This record gives sequence, structure tokens and C-alpha cells, in this order.
Amino acid sequence: MAQVAHAPFPVLTSRIDPASEPFLENAARQRSLVADLRARLERAARGGPEDARRRHVERGKLLPRERLAGLLDVASPFLELSPLAATGCYGGEAPSAGIVCGVGRVSGRECVVVVNDATVKGGTYYPLTVKKHLRAQEVALANRLPCIYLVDSGGAYLPRQDEVFPDREHFGRIFYHQAQMSKRGIAQIAAVMGSCTAGGAYVPAMSDEAVIVRGQGTVFLGGPPLVKAATGEVVTAEELGGGELHARRSGVVDHLAHDDLHALGIVREIVSTLAAPAPRPWDVVAAEEPALDPAELYGIVPTDLRVLYDVREVIARLVDGSRFLEFKAEYGPTLVCGFARVWGHPVGVVANNGVLFSESALKGAHFVELCDRRCVPLLFLQNISGFMVGAAYEAGGIAKHGAKMVTAVACARVPKLTVVIGGSFGAGNYSMCGRALGPRFLWMWPGARISVMGGEQAASVLATIRRDQIEARGGSWSGEEEERFKDPVRAQYEEQGNPYYSTARLWDDGVVDPLDTRRVVGLGLSAAANAPLDDVGYGVFRM
Amino acid sequence: MTGSVGAAASIGVPGSLGTPGARGAPGARGAPGSAASPGSLGAIGSVLVANRGEIVVRVCRTLASLGIRSIAVYAPDDVGAPHTAAADLAVAVAGYLDAGSIVAAAAESGADAVHPGYGFLSEDAAFARAVLGAGLLWVGPPPEVIETMGDKIRAKQTVAAAGVPVVPGAGGHEMDDDALAAGALELGLPVLVKPAAGGGGKGMRLVTAAEDLLPAFAAARREAEGAFGDGTLLVERWIERPRHVEVQVLADAFGSVVHLGERECSLQRRHQKIVEESPSPFLDGATRAAMTRSAVDAAAACGYVGAGTVEFVVAGDRPDAYFFVEMNTRLQVEHAVSELVTGVDLVEWQLRVAAGEPLALEQPAMSSRGHAVEARVYAEDPERGFLPSAGTVLHAEEPLGRPGVRVDSALAGASTVGTRYDPMLAKVVAWGVTRAEALARLRAALRETAVLGLTTNVGYLVRLLAHPDVVAGRLDTGLVDRTLAALAAPDAASARDAAVAAACRLAIGLEPAGPYLDPWEVADGWTLAGARPWVVAFRQGGRAVSVSVQGRVPDGATVRVDGGPPLFVRAETPDPGSPAGSLARSPAGSLARSPAGSLARSPAWSPNGSPALWVTIDGERARWLALGGPDEIWVSRHGDAWRFVLERSRSEGAVLAGSTGAVGSGGAGVVPSGPSGSVHRVTSPMPGVVVAVHVAAGTPVSAGQPLAVLEAMKMEHVVLAPSDGVVAEVFVRSGQSVGLDELLARLEPTRAEAVETAGRDADERGSA
Repeated sequence: MAQVAHAPFPVLTSRIDPASEPFLENAARQRSLVADLRARLERAARGGPEDARRRHVERGKLLPRERLAGLLDVASPFLELSPLAATGCYGGEAPSAGIVCGVGRVSGRECVVVVNDATVKGGTYYPLTVKKHLRAQEVALANRLPCIYLVDSGGAYLPRQDEVFPDREHFGRIFYHQAQMSKRGIAQIAAVMGSCTAGGAYVPAMSDEAVIVRGQGTVFLGGPPLVKAATGEVVTAEELGGGELHARRSGVVDHLAHDDLHALGIVREIVSTLAAPAPRPWDVVAAEEPALDPAELYGIVPTDLRVLYDVREVIARLVDGSRFLEFKAEYGPTLVCGFARVWGHPVGVVANNGVLFSESALKGAHFVELCDRRCVPLLFLQNISGFMVGAAYEAGGIAKHGAKMVTAVACARVPKLTVVIGGSFGAGNYSMCGRALGPRFLWMWPGARISVMGGEQAASVLATIRRDQIEARGGSWSGEEEERFKDPVRAQYEEQGNPYYSTARLWDDGVVDPLDTRRVVGLGLSAAANAPLDDVGYGVFRM
Repeated sequence: MTGSVGAAASIGVPGSLGTPGARGAPGARGAPGSAASPGSLGAIGSVLVANRGEIVVRVCRTLASLGIRSIAVYAPDDVGAPHTAAADLAVAVAGYLDAGSIVAAAAESGADAVHPGYGFLSEDAAFARAVLGAGLLWVGPPPEVIETMGDKIRAKQTVAAAGVPVVPGAGGHEMDDDALAAGALELGLPVLVKPAAGGGGKGMRLVTAAEDLLPAFAAARREAEGAFGDGTLLVERWIERPRHVEVQVLADAFGSVVHLGERECSLQRRHQKIVEESPSPFLDGATRAAMTRSAVDAAAACGYVGAGTVEFVVAGDRPDAYFFVEMNTRLQVEHAVSELVTGVDLVEWQLRVAAGEPLALEQPAMSSRGHAVEARVYAEDPERGFLPSAGTVLHAEEPLGRPGVRVDSALAGASTVGTRYDPMLAKVVAWGVTRAEALARLRAALRETAVLGLTTNVGYLVRLLAHPDVVAGRLDTGLVDRTLAALAAPDAASARDAAVAAACRLAIGLEPAGPYLDPWEVADGWTLAGARPWVVAFRQGGRAVSVSVQGRVPDGATVRVDGGPPLFVRAETPDPGSPAGSLARSPAGSLARSPAGSLARSPAWSPNGSPALWVTIDGERARWLALGGPDEIWVSRHGDAWRFVLERSRSEGAVLAGSTGAVGSGGAGVVPSGPSGSVHRVTSPMPGVVVAVHVAAGTPVSAGQPLAVLEAMKMEHVVLAPSDGVVAEVFVRSGQSVGLDELLARLEPTRAEAVETAGRDADERGSA
């Protein structure tokens, strides 16, 4: 037999029983979680209130998602970022935080698209709107993706100006990002399809190339009311900053469009003129569907996070051909590491299979270094209650071993993608490339939980401290009192550990249906392949 | 049923003639000017076919079977036409009507004979004389016969003298309009006014009221003069519900004349035949015997030599009363039906007679067997009153190899069909033991005929041939017009399925050409909230059609046409290497990044691959043909073909717009249009003096058209219309100074609509 160029990895086998009661129960729970997710996504996608949408359309404007549809390549996927941002915030008046962001294909190029939703408070920026806009730019910067801004915004949401204007990660950061990206050759393209007021005027002005819709888009630093107040000059918005003015006289924009669709067409043309992206930093082969049915993910993953299961059952349903070449399988078995491909892209999978011990952390650090050397992107599957605690483990140096893994993850230059498939608690979050460790993308499953520790543990920890204090003062604390004390703690952790609480605050890039995991990882890897890799380099590993 | 059915489909095999009868007795009276001594086919080594299209292909087929070299000709605007490939040699001529050039080509290419085909110069006595004068054989009757029978008045007189019944009529070179009108009134209205010269229905008019006579004469004369250079008219009694029945005759130079039975050609549009059959379902035995005898008498009366057709008209309510109309002194388009029922190769006998051979056929052997029906495939649009269409044939499929079916065609992929020539593309002919069998075979054959790239009448023919009156044989020359409205267009369900097929073709074109190397290439509109439906806006036959697709078509997608009920649709191309295969691919080597975007990856013309597309709509799987280009998609099924033009937005960019299903007011599939009708202000690009104003209020202009000229800095600046539209107001006049951005004019833009080109007449006659 001739050697094939790529020796195929071994195919994982499954031990699950799809007819078993736990499987069916899990699947039923998971389906209802996904149905809830879908319902939330649909609600958020509608945008602002009905009458605001009606008025928007009556002005001849396309709704934000229609604009998106007109911009993106036909039938192409759209990897939306944090569609449920601001869920439960601001009295629910800012669905999706009033801005649609994501990665999509325009004229054959993956681009980051930022679309203001003028049906949500005139497209003004709430604090989370700013955060979401900045996150989209961060995605563009990290993955070297051209940015397209479809602007239709009244600028900062004035009632919360203190939370959106002055700080480092506030409104001004948008323009800083634009300048920084433009400097790095990441194209900045804007289409002014509505208001573009005050600071917002810098979005088109800071762009490499800008389009405006005649009779609809306006760009000015101060609107007519402000001008009148400041100088007494009476001027219409169109005269002050309309398309004719900016396309013919001021030169603030470069192209004049008849309407939304025309403007989107011009943007598509602009994208088709961009320089080709750098070659992919790793090889890609033809994609292969998993050999094991991904639909079984629903039944495999227990909805009770305390129930252990073999994470290889999940890996087998995410990776190409269910093929997985495991690394150090016999050592540190609570962390599963190995090579696979997703949508043809190579990945190094790092997945939790129990609590992290020193060996698991050392193995993880080793494997991350290997992948980094070999230009293999990393995929973290988080289901971690934390590092093992106890005297023996502390004495064994679990802190320094954990630190080694965090160092490796933090410094690896290959793209890292994280999916929280279960719990994400404590320091395990860091070593498994939580948000703070800068993964290119981070998604959560609807059944996942994230907090510094589990609600029950937190309640117990706090109750223990409390009891110690009470008893130190000679008091007594009944079991009933203790439960009353613990209840609100549990409730707080339950609320704040919920993935929707997380996604509302941009702690992740979205809650995803487990069945979409393979797709989002594939899209993310492909998007990440637009950016060349830095050189390998690490901080000091404490030995 | 016997195996002979298959044999009937083949032609040109001398053995298929059956038992050769005794030679007809050489007549004492040879045709004028022709040699009276027997010659032989062996004298003909090569034949130039002075024609184009399917008849050249058909004649060459017989020439090849006889071992005779064939020479085709082509006009300068017809280089590479499919018929040139059918001959052993093709030579350039100045035009198909340029007798001198063709005779010279024949001489230079070493032809021994010239076959004129039909149309063009086939009934041009001067051409026949020129051929004969160059020492070549003329495959047709003597020039004198062409002249006699070409003049309808003399023809009628000639055959009437031989006892052949003629349509009561009046007319002639000596008659002016008043005399003609008097003659018409004497015959009794309605009458048919027709030019004495020419044919093909050109200049013919039905007049039912006396006051319409003179205007009809004037118009007919004008048309006749324009078309034939001869304004002589005649009037004939109008026959109610007329049926067109003609008799094929074959005569040798020795006075033998046989007939090959009759053909009925009553299905006509604009006086031109589209369906012909043999025998006629209308004639009884006695009438058939009388009519065929009359035809032989007519041919004999004019000293006919070669293959010819004697046309009769028969009143629908009087099958026994038939009248001579005219004689066509050439091979007819519809000769194939006679060949199928008699087994005689008419072209072969044309050649033998031209070579001087006596007829080796005798009348009893000419009895017809079974039934044959021919349908003519035209580049024309039944939905637009059979207006000729034009375009490039992107793909053609013909029902080759079906039992009992013969196809005479000059269709070829990637060939251009213009309007300069006759729009007939092919003939599909079916033979059956019974008429019903022949019709069924023909319908089935036409359902397998597809022409993508231009509009044809194939689908219409299928419907026409299934019409109860056609099936029952209740034919007349008005049937096509009466039933056109009901039959012109395919039914709504087919049209809907066609839109689905077009969208499927588009969807498959969005997929990568090879294996997936990138999840961004999957054309299923994936989002976190499910598949995002995408919408394609087509124009088809002047109407807007929107199709929304949700999901990936090869996997199964939900499709709605014009917001209709959801259809579950799957589509795949039969080619396993095509992009419509399954998502699961075997690993392949690594490839470079695909640069293609949706526009770059618009479905490409695939002239090499089969355009077959299997489309399953709600469980019903059907084979379509579909080809897509960047601007349009053609789909075809069961003979019908649809052209779907991709609507562009006003920009060249966003060809298509999708829509999220989640948008409340818009709804899936709705792409709201932007504000329209906004007025363009045309302003001066720089300060200067207006030196010319080309438009005034109300002037329609197209984008880029000069509106005014400014002179500034010693340079002339032309101010162009920014869009199509109508000038609403002009604010400046010549000589006026204007400042920068001064308003020069206002323009009311219009949305660009495809302006349908008006009907054109082919400027060369090529039809029979």
C-alpha cells in the first residue's frame, strides 16, 4: 500500500446507548433549551418596537437584517456575534444592543459587518452597544478581516453618557480601532444609510472608503438643533450633512447611492477591490462530516453538570470523520488532548474530562506548545469545575502547574477557539482559555454555566465563613438559618451563571445550539485563517 | 406491429424503397429543353446544395448514402453555421440569394449539380438557367416550368385546361384595382387577395367587406412589390374553414409521373405551416383518388420533371370539393412525412431524375403505409403571436434514436440564431401504424426536445398536438389562431416548477466547484437562528417572479415561489463530480484558498457538461435541463423552455437580496425597494458658459446621453444624463454663464425596463 500524504487519524467509537433513559432525558432537556434559544434569537432579531420598524420602512429604508442580506453573498452563512447582547438589560429596550455584528462573506471575502439598528432608540449607543461594536472590531483586528459599517445611528445614548463616552473602552475606542486597523491594512468601509451624528461622523470619516445614500444619510458633527443653539444658523439636516454635500463638496464620502440596495452594491464593489488576504497559515483538506451522528450530542451531554461523561463522545461528533489522534492518553486523563480536523482545518483539541490535576495541567501546557509549534489552531471544550484542591495538591505545586498551562494558553500565537459545553468555574476557566485569555471566538452551549465557582459551593463557602464568625462570637446558627442564608447566594449564582446573563454582557460571542458547534468552529477557524501567525514566544514557565 | 417501424425512421436507404416496380414507360414528350435519352446517377460526383439550415443537412445525408460528395455554401454572415459541417466541403458565397456567386462557387468547387433546397433560389427560373448555362445539372424542374407554375394566374390556366378544378377567382396582369374589385364582388365576398407571384402567405389578405377591397389591394400590392418585385394580384373565393391538402408528385424527363399520396398541412400560423401529416385524416378514398389523379394531371400538364407538390384547398364542410391552389416546383419542408409513409427517398429521386434516369417507381408501389406527422421547430414565441426570436443556442437536445421518429435539424450548441434567416430550426417527424400512434410518438419526441438559449415553439407544439380537435383530425387553417390563447403558454404549475428549477440551478451554482474547503462556501444561508432564506428576483416573459430558498438545495430546501405555499425541494446534477453532491466528501489534498465570491461564482455556462438537473418538488422527481449565466438562467422540460432573467438592483453589485425570516414587517422573501422616482438635479460641474443645450423639457434621455455642453477653461465639458429618464425642466439656454453647481436641468429618472424589440421580418426568404 502506498503511503497517503495524510495518514488518517483513528476513528473514535461510541459507547453511548441512544435508547437509554438518561440519553432520552438529556435529549429532551437539550431540545427544550435549544427551542428557548431559538425563540430568544427570533425575538432579538426583530429589533426595535413595531412602530419604529414601520416608520423606518416607510422612509424607504431597509431594516438592518435586510441590509445585511443585501450586503452578504447570496445564501452564504453569517456568523453573528452576540445576537442576544443586552438581553434583560436596560429594561429590555435594546434588543441585540441595537446593533447587528458578525462575520459574513461579501464579494467572496470574510468581513466583519457592523450594522446599526435605527429602530432601537435611533441606533444610539448604550454601554453594551459600544462593547459589542468594539468586540466586532477586535474580531476584525485579530483575524485581519475587513470591516464594513452600515451606519444609521444618532451617536451616544445621552442618558448614559457617563458609561459610553469617557473611558478607555468607550465610544472613542471605535475610532482608535479604525485608525489602528487601517494602519495595519485592514480595510475600513462605511455606508452612511441614516444618521451619523457627532462622534459617529468619524465612522465614515475614519473609513478608507465611504458611501452615502442620497436624501437619507447625513453626516455632521453637530445636528441642526445644536447648530442653531451654538451659532443661530438655521439649516436643514440635508443641507448640513446630506449625501449631495458630502459627495460633491466636502469629500467626506466617496460614493453617492440612490438607495440602500445601491449603497450595498457599491460596498460589495469596494470589497472586490481589496488586496487578497495572506495565504492560510495551515493546510486545509476537504471537509468530512463526522462519522458519528452529531444529533446525538443532545442525549450525550448531561444537563446536570455534576454528572461525568466521556468528552470523547462530544469530540467524536464535532470533528471531521470522528477522527482523533490522542496525545498522552494515559497521562493526566482528566484533560483530553489530541489532533483532529474541523471542516478540513487542523485543530488541537483540549477538552475537560474531570477536574484538573497537576498532571492534566502539565499535559495541557505541553500539548498547547506542540500545537503552537506546528501551527495547529486550538479548540478548547470547557467543562471544568476547577483545579483540584487540598493540601496534597497544593504541596504538589498545583498552582505552578496550573500557571504553566495558563502561560502556555496565553502566549500561544495560534488561534484559540473556546466552546463552553458545561461548567466554566474558577481558575479552570483561565487555563481552558476563557474570555480573558483572548480566544478568537468563545461560544456557550445553552446548558452551560459560568461563574467563579458553582452556586452550591459558593453558598457553602460563604456559609462556612459566616458560621465560623457566628460561632467565634459564641452564637449559634441553625440549619434552617443557614439554608435561608444560602438561598439568595444560590439564586444569585444561578442567575449570573446563566449563559444568557453571560451573553447579554458580551462575556462570550453567542449561545449556540450544540448541533451548530461544528459549523461555528469551522467558520471561526476559516475566519481566523485570514491572519498570519506571529512568531512563537513564551513567558517564564515556573518550574 | 412489426420491426418495420424502426425501418420507417431511416431514410435514404435505397433498399427501403421496397420492390422496385417496372420503369415507367419513357414518354414521347420530354420536358422542354431536357435531354430525352436516359442518363445515370453515376454521372453525378458532387452536388452543391445552395441553401442553409436543416435542408442542407438532410440533402447531404442522402448524398453521403449515395457516395456523392456534398458541397455546402455559406454567406458572410453565416460563417460556421451548423449546416456547413454537414457537407464534405463548405464554400463561401456572397449570399444565399446571389445566383452568380453560387453558380461560380459550384463551378469552382467542381460540383456536377446544384440542389437548391427550398426557399431562397429554389423557384428562381433565372438561377436554374444560370446553373444549366454553366454546364451543371439542375436538381429541379426546367426553368420554363418554374416560370409557368410560379405565376399563379398562368398556373391556374394551365391546370384548368387539363381538367383540374381551380378556385374560382379573378385577376391578372391586365386588371386594375377596379376590375379586380368587380371580379371580387362577382365571386362573392369574402375573398382572398393574394399576389400572383411569391408564396409563403406573404401579402395575402382576407377581405369580407366591399369597402375594404381597395385598401387591401393597395397594401397587398405594396407588399408584393416589396417582396417579389411584382405587384400583380388576384382574388379568389374564400373557402370556409379551409383545409390545406397537397399531393407529392415525382416526374421524370420521360413523361412518367407518379404521386406519393397527399399531405395535410392545415395547421398554420400566419399562412405558414407548422404541422403536416400524411395521409390526410380528412379525405375519403374517392376524393383521395380524384385529388391525386388531378395532381398527376397538373404535373403532366406543365411538363413537370422532378419532385413537386400540387396544393389544393378543400372546404371543411365539403371534403369532396377540392380546388387547385398552386404548384410548388421544389422539395417541400414537409416532404419527410411522405418519405416515412412511402419509404421513398425523395432527394435520391430528385438526383436520379436530374441525372436523367427514368423513374423506377410505379404507382401501385407508392401506396402509403401507416401515418406520419411532422412538427416544425421554430425560433419564435407563441406567447407573442409567433414573433421570431433570436439568440444563441446554448444547448439543444433532440429525440434521437426513438422508434419511428426522424429529426431533420441544423441545431447545434453555441450556434447563433438571428432574424436574418428563416427561423425554422428543425423538423421532428414521427411515424406510427395509426395516426394516433404517430401523434403520440411525436408528442413524446417533442417532449424530449429542448432548446436552451432562445425561445421556440416546441412546448406549444406539444400542447397543440394534444388538442382534441387535432387528435380527432378536425383541422383547418384557422385552428391555430383560434386556440393560440389557450395553448401558447405552459400551465401555471409548470411555470412554477420552472421557477423552482431556475432557483435550484442558481443555488447549485453558488456551491464550490470541488469539495468543500471552507464552511463559508456552503450555500445554505446558515445563521445561529437557522437557515436564512435568500430570495432571487427573476423576470420571466415580462413578469416578475420571486423565489425564496431556505436551506441547501442538494440537501433539501424549502422553496416558495411568489410567496406561495412552501415546497420541499431537492435538486442534484447527475454528474458525481458536480458541486451538487453530498456534503460528506472524502478527504482530498490541500488546495489554495478559493477566491470566489457569490458573483464570481455565479453559475457559469457549461457547454461541455450536461445541463441535466434532477429536481424533486414535494416528492415528485423530474428531469430538467438548466443552464445559468451571470444574467439569465434557461430551464427546459417537456419541450417548454423558460428564460429567467436575474433582476439586478440598480447597482451592478447586489444582484440578489436575501431576507431574514425574522423581520416582522418585511417577511421572508420580500425585498423592499428603495425610494423611487426621486428627481435628479443636473448641475454644472464647473463655472463656465453654456454652449449647447441638447434637450428640452419632456425629452426622454438615457443614462450617459449628453444634455448640455459647457465651455470653461477653453475646454468643452459635456454634461451627461445621470440615469435613464425624462427631462423635467431645463434652466439654462445656450450662451448663458453658469456658476459651479448651478442647476442646469432636472431629470425624472425611470427604472430601466427591458424594451422588447419589435418584430422583425426575415429579410431573406427561406421558408417553404
